[in-house]
Amino acid sequence: MDRNGVTEGEFEERGMNKCAEQVSHLALDIGGSLIKMVYFCGENSGSEHQQGILSSKESCGLSNGNTNCSVLGGKLHFRKFETSKINECLEFMSSKQFHRNGEDCHGASVSEKNIIKATGGGAFKFADLFKEKLGMTLDKVDEMNSLVAGANFLLKAASHEAYTYMDGQKEYVQIDQNDLYPYLLVNIGSGVSMIKVDGDGKFERVSGTSVGGGTFWGLGKLLTKCKSFDELLELSYSGNNRVIDMLVGDIYGGMDYSKIGLSSTAIASSFGKAVSEDKDLEEYKPEDVARSLLRMISNNIGQIAYLNALRFGLKRIFFGGFFIRGHAYTMDTISVAVNFWSNGEAKAMFLRHEGFLGALGAFMSYRKDGFADLMAHHLVEQVPTKPSRNAGGGLNNSKILKDGNENISIECTMQLSN
Amino acid sequence: MANLTEIQQTIAKNDCLNDSNTSFNNTKNNNKSDKDFVEREAREQREGGGEQDMAPIGGNPIHRSSSRPQLDVSGAAIQGNFEERDPTILLPNQSDDISHLALDIGGSLIKLVYFSRHEDRPVNDRIKKTIKERLGISNGNRRSYPVLGGRLHFVKFETNKINQCLDFISSKQLHCGGMDAHLWHSGVSNENAVIKATGGGAYKYADLFKERLGVSIEKEDEMNCLVAGANFLLKAIRHEAFTHMEGHKAFVQIDQNDLFPYLLVNVGSGVSIIKVDGDGKFQRVSGTNVGGGTYWGLGKLLTKCNSFDELLELSQRGDNRTIDMLVGDIYGGMDYSKIGLSASTIASSFGKAISDNKDLEDYRSEDISLSLLRMISYNIGQISYLNALRFGLKRIFFGGFFIRGHAYTMDTISFAVQFWSKGTSQAMFLRHEGFLGALGAFMSYEKHGLDDLMVHQLVERFPMGAPYIGGNVHGPPLGDLNEKISWMEKFILKGTEITAPVPMAPPGTTGLGGFEVPSSRGGILRPDASKLNVGVLHLVPTLEVFPLLADPKMYEPNTIDLSDPGELEYWFTVLSGHLPDLVDKAVASEGGTDDAKRRGDAFARAFSAHLARLMEEPAAYGKLGLANLLELREECLREFHFFDAYRSIKQRENEASLAVLPDLLMEIDSMDEETRLLKLVEGVLAANIFDWGSRACVDLYHKGTIIEIYRMSRNKMQRPWRVDNFDAFKERMLGFGDKKPYQHKRALLFVDNSGADIILGMLPLARELLRRGTEVVLVANSLPALNDVTAMELPDIVAEAAKHCDILRRAAEAGGLLVDAMINIQDGSIDSSSSVPLMVVENGCGSPCIDLRQVSSELAAAAKEADLVILEGMGRSLHTNFNAKFRCDALKLAMVKNQRLAEKLIKGSIYDCVCRFEPAS
Repeated sequence: MDRNGVTEGEFEERGMNKCAEQVSHLALDIGGSLIKMVYFCGENSGSEHQQGILSSKESCGLSNGNTNCSVLGGKLHFRKFETSKINECLEFMSSKQFHRNGEDCHGASVSEKNIIKATGGGAFKFADLFKEKLGMTLDKVDEMNSLVAGANFLLKAASHEAYTYMDGQKEYVQIDQNDLYPYLLVNIGSGVSMIKVDGDGKFERVSGTSVGGGTFWGLGKLLTKCKSFDELLELSYSGNNRVIDMLVGDIYGGMDYSKIGLSSTAIASSFGKAVSEDKDLEEYKPEDVARSLLRMISNNIGQIAYLNALRFGLKRIFFGGFFIRGHAYTMDTISVAVNFWSNGEAKAMFLRHEGFLGALGAFMSYRKDGFADLMAHHLVEQVPTKPSRNAGGGLNNSKILKDGNENISIECTMQLSN
Repeated sequence: MANLTEIQQTIAKNDCLNDSNTSFNNTKNNNKSDKDFVEREAREQREGGGEQDMAPIGGNPIHRSSSRPQLDVSGAAIQGNFEERDPTILLPNQSDDISHLALDIGGSLIKLVYFSRHEDRPVNDRIKKTIKERLGISNGNRRSYPVLGGRLHFVKFETNKINQCLDFISSKQLHCGGMDAHLWHSGVSNENAVIKATGGGAYKYADLFKERLGVSIEKEDEMNCLVAGANFLLKAIRHEAFTHMEGHKAFVQIDQNDLFPYLLVNVGSGVSIIKVDGDGKFQRVSGTNVGGGTYWGLGKLLTKCNSFDELLELSQRGDNRTIDMLVGDIYGGMDYSKIGLSASTIASSFGKAISDNKDLEDYRSEDISLSLLRMISYNIGQISYLNALRFGLKRIFFGGFFIRGHAYTMDTISFAVQFWSKGTSQAMFLRHEGFLGALGAFMSYEKHGLDDLMVHQLVERFPMGAPYIGGNVHGPPLGDLNEKISWMEKFILKGTEITAPVPMAPPGTTGLGGFEVPSSRGGILRPDASKLNVGVLHLVPTLEVFPLLADPKMYEPNTIDLSDPGELEYWFTVLSGHLPDLVDKAVASEGGTDDAKRRGDAFARAFSAHLARLMEEPAAYGKLGLANLLELREECLREFHFFDAYRSIKQRENEASLAVLPDLLMEIDSMDEETRLLKLVEGVLAANIFDWGSRACVDLYHKGTIIEIYRMSRNKMQRPWRVDNFDAFKERMLGFGDKKPYQHKRALLFVDNSGADIILGMLPLARELLRRGTEVVLVANSLPALNDVTAMELPDIVAEAAKHCDILRRAAEAGGLLVDAMINIQDGSIDSSSSVPLMVVENGCGSPCIDLRQVSSELAAAAKEADLVILEGMGRSLHTNFNAKFRCDALKLAMVKNQRLAEKLIKGSIYDCVCRFEPAS
């Protein structure tokens, strides 16, 4: 099977082994290409490293004085599935017995146990399927709301969430919580949404483009016969886009068009070289095609994002969504585009949990129904244990950082109101 | 006038210079006489027309047969200070074509703009001269204008067929034009002829040009050229820019004074986004690498198309929903209305390819092409809009080869701009979009004079090949008329093989349902059906805006809007129906020879093709009005050397009418002033029935004699007419109550048909005005159109009429109309200065209608002292100018000889009359 082990591997390794965990809350973001899942695993009392239930006084006294709450320690887990393989998702949920676990969960007295929060277009589309297969009702949460809530949570809660990526250098950015807003959130899913965020729950979708992850994958699939998004990404890594892109130098006989500030290596026309060459698709290396495609799309997103940031005078642009995936080259291209068009004044920033903003936001929406808040103060991020997962490395690093971030679990406490 | 000997000496010097360059010049002239047909034809057309006219023509300024250039020194004069060492010599009658050529050599197409100079028609006949003096027009023989009269031609070649382009240039000797110009003007021979060029290929093919044509390519900056080209077009061409929404084109008239700043988006292989602040003032503010090259490149890889056009054509039949992920696909068919996305919005281009378990081969190439086209067009629209927003620019013009007049591309870009701007911004496109660079390169020559051109000095004409090939040239240039005819015949034979609309039979009267407006989604069209044609730009420096228009900016000549498909279909039917009769007349006018018949057939085909093209795409030739359509017909006739199809008919009718004129004048003179005025206006309306442009009237002709028809028509004149302001006119003229009679200083009478119309209608009215002491200027066509009287014919008609009438005679003498003809007829006792003058001026056009934004300088000069304008006939007072407002008194007189027009315009019926008087506003 050419599944790249993304979902199943993790499923084996992390899911089943820790069956002692109690999955309590789970939220889904069912997009056009991927299903993103966030769930909270409470540690059973007596768990080896972590406290179980904290006393309410201990944790809540400081925050909101709500005396009728209990605090649950545990981890937020992140999973993703391909939407076309939604059954894997259903199986996973079934195996986790999540759908029957609600009632067992400590104090998580979700009154309607078989309801899960879900966002993304698929929350509408697959509602019946979930009902039928798992007996669960999907409670649809607005997609933009979720995205923004997820991003706001992460940017405020996680200390090393945002980072810049230039020339292979990853640099975490410390964001002053009091100076977070307004910012531009660019969510690159199948398509791209650009959202101006002014505060909690205060945001507006100001722009977007249909040239997004779905385009990369869809066109890539047609052009290279890759079977998966990750395979395509991996290919792009070893490709050379100059084989197929028309560069400024190709037009100007190797010279810069310096009058307008274009260097000879700037791409004048993506795929433009295919026009003049008498070659069939098969004669191009899939690697080169993938690379060209990636650059085209990343560059375009970076440019449109910058133009929108400029339009609203926003200093910060955060890029998220599954297209990024901590993929060095993608991030690099987007960063270069933003840097180029802004003359260095704006910087692209990325989020470590970029793929899960929506799911996380949907998860956050439980607060209205069950728990009071995810305790941002107490959130402790578990440092990934495997070095290879550490997102980093430059352009020359041929290793795809495909799991760089998405399966990092976040330790946190959940405050549950009674 | 400078000393002629001096001039001849200087010219001899020039000749010597020519000698030193003999080989070149010999070649040039031989080639010219053999091959340079287009320009020659143009001249022949005019000269031919002139020769057949009655007025004498000055010495033939053209010397072609010689193997060496010869100069026509008639009228030569030294310009400027005589003491100067090398004074510039103006050779007003030197007609060797002095041309300029500029190229834009792109990756797929070579665009060529060239200029061919041609002289205005000789204007040294004495009658005209006298009138000019009378009107205070300074020497009409000398150009006081900075711009040369001539034509700008736009031609395209495929880059991979560059040899065709070289052959074309070589056969027309275009590359030598610039050199000639140097020679004539400075007397310095330049062996290193230079052609201005832009585009990537300007480097690549430089050696080829040197080798084949012996010329050097001088590379001009691409952006400079683009901007210069766009600025010129937007300033000089009235309806250059248009919007394109949902398959519908609407031309936008741009105020020259409010043009800047604007955003110019050039979509070539990549996209450049340029902010233009003025002439030569611009900045490339943005761009994107996702452009035409991406479309074509990706498209080629995905569909195996062999050409850009093929790929575009595929998209025409595509359905992008099979491959794009729509909002509805994600939301189970629902809109995501909260953020304003409808279910049909593309959420992710090519996104559906992810979940479908399909290979590339499983998708239709058509769908892929469309999806790609939408993705790229939409993206370009969005990025352009964001940049316009950034700089607060209202206007975004899109050009470049990617657009190619392709409807879906334009629609998608327009949609993107509309969508993102929430309707506050509009994408606009340019008719000459492919030629921006070439035009700009052309502008980079130092002395082109185009900067000074005004909108009203340009006339765009569409030659016979336009419906078939647009601006594309395949193969060598056409030679003489004979070649043109056989080319026409060949095309008809080949029919649909060639990308041309097949001339259809008139749709007949099947009703309203049968007519299909070209739509960007239709699969029935040629792929480039919505592509607009580019004509030949005639630069006519002598054209001016009619000074008496109340509001030239708001003036719209056409009364009927042909963008209404119903109207277009109707006029299409009318013109098609009238065609056989017109061809008969035309062939008969040339003696009915076999050659004339063959030309007649070719004309019918060419004109049918024009009509078919316009039915297919009404905006193909720019903003279409009835006036343009009628003029097109006349131009098409002239193109096949039918210079005056109605000549014999006009003559016959003139003779018949002149015979009864004395009786009419006697009858009129027996009436009192008030009755006379009414009878005269009645007479004008009645005589306006003679109109070969009207089907109904043509039928009348077959039933009775001219005089019978006229009597019948007069007897039918019963007031009130359908539009009847006669009383107001009468009060103005004769006074009423407290109001004093108003004596106009000068009246301009725009006359219509020959025969009874002019002789029994307008001349008696003119005579009445003269009698009242008003100067009269008869304004007639410069070139024949149907049976309309021309300015060339009028002096003889007046002379003939004056034989029977002292008033006319004295006035005609005073106006200089009778200098030759009448000198011995009457005794010299009457002092000609005792009469106000009767004059004739040409209106500058050759159409049954008149666009008052472009009239002859003579007419403009005559208008300066005029305080009464009388427009007569359907063409000039109904089809055009019905709603025109003037700064002086205006009277519009016509009989409506068309049922539909009568219903539409005056809610009346056929043969109703219009007498519309509008006092000075």
